[in-house]
Amino acid sequence: MARRIQVGLVTASLIFVATAAAQAAALVRYSFDDGVLEAGPDTFSVFQFGQGTVTVSALNRFSGYRSVELRDIPGDHSFPELQGYFPLRKNGKLYLHFAIMTTDPAEELNIALAGPQWFKLKKHGIGFWLKTADGYLAAISDSMPKKLFAMRPFVWYVTDVTYDIDAGVYDLTIRQEGFETPVAQVIAQPNAPNQPGSQVDKFSFIGDHETDASKVVYYVDDVLVGVDEAIVHQPFVAPGRRKLFIDYWNDAQRTRAAHPSPLPMTSLADLGIGPAETAALREDRAGELLGQILSGKTAEVPAALGSRSQTILQSVIAWRAGAEDLRSDEAESALRHFERASQLSPSAPLFKMDAVMALAHLARWEEVDRRLAAIVPLWRGDPRLPTALAMIGLARGDLGALEREANGPLAEQYFLALLWKGEATRAEQFAGSMLANAAAPAQAIWRERLGDSAFLTGNTERARGLYEASLAEHPQPASVWLKLSDVYFKLGDLERERAFRERIYGGLRGR
Amino acid sequence: MSRFLPVQLSLLSALLLGQDPSAAQLHNWVSGHNLAAIKALGQPVLPKLVRLYETAADEGFKARVAQTLYELSWKSPEAKRALMKDMHTTSSDLRLQVQWALGRVSNDQDVVDTLLANMRDDSNPLFRDKAACALANDQIHLSERQKIRLFAALIDALDDDKLDVRSIALQALSIHTGQTKGFNPGGSQVERERKIRVWQRWLEEYKSGL
Repeated sequence: MARRIQVGLVTASLIFVATAAAQAAALVRYSFDDGVLEAGPDTFSVFQFGQGTVTVSALNRFSGYRSVELRDIPGDHSFPELQGYFPLRKNGKLYLHFAIMTTDPAEELNIALAGPQWFKLKKHGIGFWLKTADGYLAAISDSMPKKLFAMRPFVWYVTDVTYDIDAGVYDLTIRQEGFETPVAQVIAQPNAPNQPGSQVDKFSFIGDHETDASKVVYYVDDVLVGVDEAIVHQPFVAPGRRKLFIDYWNDAQRTRAAHPSPLPMTSLADLGIGPAETAALREDRAGELLGQILSGKTAEVPAALGSRSQTILQSVIAWRAGAEDLRSDEAESALRHFERASQLSPSAPLFKMDAVMALAHLARWEEVDRRLAAIVPLWRGDPRLPTALAMIGLARGDLGALEREANGPLAEQYFLALLWKGEATRAEQFAGSMLANAAAPAQAIWRERLGDSAFLTGNTERARGLYEASLAEHPQPASVWLKLSDVYFKLGDLERERAFRERIYGGLRGR
Repeated sequence: MSRFLPVQLSLLSALLLGQDPSAAQLHNWVSGHNLAAIKALGQPVLPKLVRLYETAADEGFKARVAQTLYELSWKSPEAKRALMKDMHTTSSDLRLQVQWALGRVSNDQDVVDTLLANMRDDSNPLFRDKAACALANDQIHLSERQKIRLFAALIDALDDDKLDVRSIALQALSIHTGQTKGFNPGGSQVERERKIRVWQRWLEEYKSGL
């Protein structure tokens, strides 16, 4: 089946790290978190020809803030694929590391290292191959599937492979997150076709490739391929590298001045780019152009491009210009750009929120409050919201006046501004008084905010209790589920953390 | 030999005519190899294609229908039943298309068994060769246990009296596995038997892994 390379739709939201210093030893490193870099056809590709998708996920990640989600759809005669490239290795050893999590081990997924003969089971074709079958993860070795272990859903598995090209064998170790003892470990296993000298230059993550029956949804994080074992196979670390929502808050405090500034983009959905927009961009082969616009390499859109793609890309260009201006304290100009971006793409939540940040910068408080009343409910559960409200609250200047007027969104801004300034005790006292006087749904939100304060000040157990109590009548419990997932992760209770992960996923599927 | 006719895409036809084309329209799409239009109708088109196949006036058109079923690769008991009737046709084009298509519409054991028999015993070496080709490339719905049964039969065919059968059986095995395990179809009987035992041990290990 001929497949064209479609790069860019996910490159725009997939974020990669590859440091020059590590280039000799790390051939490929994807953490999906930090800084947009050179990402072109010679680095990786994403294939989305059917209805399946490859997207960024902020909900499920092994480390950092994001991972990649692969979602296969049965009966669409295709499969989603994340495929990465590196210089051809003809001899020596290659080290591979990655983390995966599946939502259903009964659904097929495939992971492979392959060479110039692509994904055929033959010499210089597939050298290393993992797949799920009947709930088990199996490794294809000597041309036959060899069961490794029964996978659990919503659990991260960290995989380390040492692939000996010359000998045609590999060592494989797989650990479940939080456990030092491997769930699977094999030494000197014959490679997939049992062919010594089988070269490799690419890896691939897909759904199923033959039966077109899989509806797997799974996540990939921390992909690392290299020739230096010390860089690739890090000592196994207990859960702690994952970024929690409180880390987002703390990072934001460290990196951002306490005046309203544009919020970071975390997915294409922030820009109003959903399935219909993705299809339009794909049809016009404009994915790579979107990536270039997002990375600032260009602000030009070819006139010959389809009108739908033109509109989408022009909205992103306007938004980027607004973000640049706001960072340079040119709030009036920034607002004009954000308004234009919103006109072009009314469904983009980030354009609207950044416009509010620009208005706050200009101290146009009536307009800020009016717009926030509509926006805040849509941003519940987003880790960027507390930071945004804190910055807006601080920008008002007179916190005393804010406290006197505090109700609804203003009360939240006041509370979060106090937290941002490190005045946790005052913040909690205020939240306590709001809780005592609030009606049912608002009470749940204030319990959640008290939980945030406890979590931020390191009282994780107290945060747990407050979050659990807030669930009862919370209008949007998914935001609390996310935080409870983080709380249990912090408490080292991986089973409960996994349960909330599953609940969040189920809640999203139900929409 | 190319398996495919030139493609003429006309999805607009499918859209304009809606979801239920006439037999004549479907006939035209098959003749014109308009796979996109046929695929757009989804699996409900399969019984209509089978009817076209069974009522076809000539074997040339039957071969085109078989080719369409191959390219759709949708499982269909009706398609399998219709195609199996022509598993021994002497029409070259039709036989090849049928042999290739069957594994794409069915994973029933009698399909594999008939292809194996064709591979070993058909009087026409072209049909033997293409049966092996179908066994190597087109049995896409087989379960692991069914694959083991197929591999066992191919390994058994490594011991066939006919050199060409030994060669095509090995080729089919190597396409499935990426290996030959050093089996030489033209080697001495002693050496061939030794390598067959290697394959048999491999198969035992495969079975035990399930």
